[in-house]
Amino acid sequence: MSSTSQKHRDFVAEPMGEKPVMALAGIGDVLGKRLADKGFDKAYVVLGQFLVLKKDEELFRDWLKEISGANAKQQGDCYGCLKEWCDAFL
Amino acid sequence: MALSSKSADEISELLDEYGIKHGPVVDSTRSLYEKKLKEAMAKGKRAKPSSDKTYYREEEVTYVYRTPVRSEASRDSGTYMRSRPEWSEREYEQETSYSDYSRSRPEYRGRDFVDEPYTYSSPSSYREFYSRSTPVKSDQEAPKSSRLVPLWVQLVFFLAVAVFLYVVFSSMETNESLIGLE
Repeated sequence: MSSTSQKHRDFVAEPMGEKPVMALAGIGDVLGKRLADKGFDKAYVVLGQFLVLKKDEELFRDWLKEISGANAKQQGDCYGCLKEWCDAFL
Repeated sequence: MALSSKSADEISELLDEYGIKHGPVVDSTRSLYEKKLKEAMAKGKRAKPSSDKTYYREEEVTYVYRTPVRSEASRDSGTYMRSRPEWSEREYEQETSYSDYSRSRPEYRGRDFVDEPYTYSSPSSYREFYSRSTPVKSDQEAPKSSRLVPLWVQLVFFLAVAVFLYVVFSSMETNESLIGLE
C-alpha cells in the first residue's frame, strides 16, 4: 500500500460519525475553515458530496479544488481517504 | 448561453452532449457542472445534440455531382453499379454520389468535381437521385483519366463480345462455312 498518513489511517479505521471536516486526510485548518464556511462543516457532509458525485475521482477533485482551493496533493489525499472509507463501510 | 438559468435537466443533458461524466445536478454540484460546461464550450469540443441534426458521416461521403453527359452511358453504368458494386468506388466518379442518407440534396455544393470514394448504399436511393440529376450543370469534360477503364472502352468491349458471340452462333448454324472456327 502506498504511504498513507496517520490521519488517513485513523479516518478509515472506523465510522466517521460526527467527526469534523478537518479529520479528513488532506484537509487541514485552512481548507477545513473554507469548507465549513461553505456549509461543509462535518466530514459526512463532504461524504455526501463525494457520493453525489458518484465517487468519481475527477469530479470530486475538481469540486474540492473549486470550493476550497485545495492543491493536487490535498485533493488526492481527501479523495483516497473517502474512497477507502466507503470501501470499508458504505 | 445562460447556464445558470437552465433547469437541472437541461444541464444534465448538456453534460451528456459534451460527454462529461456527471452525477445528479443538485445545488451543491450545480456550479461545478456549470463550470465544466463553460470549459467544454470554450474548448469548442464537439457537442453531439441528440436528435435533430444527424450527421451522416460527412467526412466519408462526398457528393460528386455531375450532369450525366453521356446519359445513356450513365444509365448503363447505373446498371453496372448494381451488378458490380466493386467497381463503383473509383470508376464512377462522375456519377452522383449515392449516399441515401436523408440529408437534403442541395448539400453537394462545392464538391462537384472532386474524385473521392463514396459510400455505396442501397440502389433504390440513387435511382431517385438520378431523376434529379439533370438540372445541375456540370463540367462536360469528365476527367476520364481517373477512371480505371474508361466507359467507352467498356462499351466497345461489350459490343465486341456481342459481335463475337453472334459470329460464333451464326457460324454454328451453317455447315458450309466455318468462319473463324478453324
